[in-house]
Amino acid sequence: MSKQEKHRILMVSDFFYPNFGGVENHIYYLSQCLINLGHKVVVMTHAYQNRSGVRYMTGGLKVYYVPWKPFLMQNTLPTFYGTLPIVRTILIREKISLVHGHQAFSTLCHEALMHARTMGYKVVFTDHSLYGFGDVGSIHMNKVLQFTLADVTQAICVSHTSKENTVLRSGLPPEKVFVIPNAVDTAMFKPAPGRLSNREIVIIVISRLVYRKGADLLVEVIPEVCRLHPNVRFIIGGDGPKRVRLEEMREKTLSSRSSRYVGSLTEAFCIAILEAASCGLLTVSTRVGGVPEVLPDDMVVLAEPDPNDMVQAITRAIHILPRIDPQEMHTRMKTLYNWHDVARRTEIVYDRALRCSSQNLLERLSRYLPCGAWAGKLFCLVMIIDFLFWRLLQLWQPDRNIEVVPDIHLTNHMQDKTARDSNMYEHLR
Amino acid sequence: MEASIGRRSSPTQPKWRKVAYGGMQPGFQDNHTDESFLEDMIMNASVVKRDLLKVMLDSVSISQYVCIVALVVLVWTYTLRSSFNENSLMLLDIILLGAGFFVFLLTAEMLSFDLLLSYVLKIFFFITGVYFLSPIYHTLTRSISSDSIWALTASLLVLHLFLHNYSGSTVKAPGALENPTFTSNISLNASIVASLLIASRLPSRLHVFAIVLFSLQVFLFAPLVSYCIKKCSFRLHLCFSFGLMAATLFFVYRLHGLLFVLLSGILVFVNLLGPYWLIRIQEYKFEINGPWDEAKLCFNITE
Repeated sequence: MSKQEKHRILMVSDFFYPNFGGVENHIYYLSQCLINLGHKVVVMTHAYQNRSGVRYMTGGLKVYYVPWKPFLMQNTLPTFYGTLPIVRTILIREKISLVHGHQAFSTLCHEALMHARTMGYKVVFTDHSLYGFGDVGSIHMNKVLQFTLADVTQAICVSHTSKENTVLRSGLPPEKVFVIPNAVDTAMFKPAPGRLSNREIVIIVISRLVYRKGADLLVEVIPEVCRLHPNVRFIIGGDGPKRVRLEEMREKTLSSRSSRYVGSLTEAFCIAILEAASCGLLTVSTRVGGVPEVLPDDMVVLAEPDPNDMVQAITRAIHILPRIDPQEMHTRMKTLYNWHDVARRTEIVYDRALRCSSQNLLERLSRYLPCGAWAGKLFCLVMIIDFLFWRLLQLWQPDRNIEVVPDIHLTNHMQDKTARDSNMYEHLR
Repeated sequence: MEASIGRRSSPTQPKWRKVAYGGMQPGFQDNHTDESFLEDMIMNASVVKRDLLKVMLDSVSISQYVCIVALVVLVWTYTLRSSFNENSLMLLDIILLGAGFFVFLLTAEMLSFDLLLSYVLKIFFFITGVYFLSPIYHTLTRSISSDSIWALTASLLVLHLFLHNYSGSTVKAPGALENPTFTSNISLNASIVASLLIASRLPSRLHVFAIVLFSLQVFLFAPLVSYCIKKCSFRLHLCFSFGLMAATLFFVYRLHGLLFVLLSGILVFVNLLGPYWLIRIQEYKFEINGPWDEAKLCFNITE
């Protein structure tokens, strides 16, 4: 591990704490591990109700909650150029060297990446979701993604299936896309200290009860499994539109070492499976999206999204269950997934991004033209106006008038952490 | 993975695996693109290779329906000009009702006296309802100027033709499996509103009753009748369609030369140019499927 220069990274996304989800966790954990490696990380997101302004989180992670209201599903209203002044101010104040955007569905991310490219910064984009190609929403989303990724320096995807999907949607060359999966904080997910009784098997389902997460599959599978294995008990956690169907089903049927059930219809990278494995639970899941890549075959039982196949998979899992040792599974998870490893691999991507050559406006415009007969020219026009607006801002509010923020160093904290994680890296080698 | 860590110093490089666990795979960068990249992608899985003759024959149903609508507009025009009086219209209604019912009975599969009785009862209620509502329709648009009515009717008819369900019929025969789609409902509503607008311009209540009955008969039941004919025998369907097209072109020619040219242009486009163009641009179709798609549930969700 050579001593590279330390970067100053701006993470941009609409999705951050206090909102809870996979992208939010990813940004937070990645930022914390990058801070441990000595880099400076600043997060930019939109305001959540009263939570607006600048906040500091653990380890000196600075978060800018820019005062805009979300308009649809936690996304800020896309105003194209409205975000340019604030993004420019943040980039100059914090002396940022690289901008990292998350999630294709976030309008703030797309706008911030566009402005960062106009101002000459290097840009990295991480995609967390899978999309189709056929319906109207996907077609528009993919066009927007094509615009952003036409001029991105490097891209990261969370699984190999996600890489294939992103390359097809945006037309990026595959060599530009790095696959760095998510990880799980194994310290937070530990197996239960005592063992449950041998006689009863508890199956836990935790998810949003919506169509996309396979709630209908659950309704078909539970009565069948309860009929075949009377000693099985289901615990379902979560809420959603399909809850009514589940309650109806429960009324119709009667009904510690445990296992976990995940029946989603599409997943780019399923963190729930990792959390379950870290707790020492055997997981049964549908073979969709990026799920087959996530765990070795002896830690997860896969099935097609068909009720009969799922029932058979659950039966197989129940037979395997006596041989599973939760503590051993937990220890194995620590070697398989580790946020510090993710941070190190991301650092390699940042180094590559910063070594790429800078390009002037004309060279960059030539990258937008192949996006489409009409779209290419429209994108070029958007970028030219952005460039002109930036120059106007530079005249109106010169760079030297923007105060630069001094850095805060938490030295003791950093030294302990660097010692600990270099040990872990040796173990991974 | 544990075994390949020990083999790091051996000359043979461990194979790249499409897995996400275990950290960076030794000897490979994170942006390594294997030969198995995109090997699960399936292109144009559900695209049907079309035959020109078959598409042309299928487009005959579209032109048949366009001719039916043209005939209805003809009857409206003649009635508004007072070339038809109400008695001849009533006669036309009865003939159409009888003929349509006759064709439907001939080609119906399951027939029983109860079903027949229920149909007769429904038709009786339908006619009675229209008769009692016709005074309302008579004075419905008295305060609206005529040009608005013509413009509105024209746009509603165009909307009706665009959204019409040409493969089946919105009003289903008993025992049909699928529900009508959203757009076919909209098209049916558009045609009904157009006929009511025209009916409100007529001089007497009997005129209104006759025209509304005629229009509703055609718009509600003509697709069903032509669907029955098509189901019974394809040749009969072709003969019926060509006969209808010839008759329509003849009557429109007698009405107005320009409209005749317009109608024949539409028919040529729908029957000849349209299929050719469709097959030409099919080669650009690019449908992508792969492991990233949302899984389709293979069972029906019964609420």
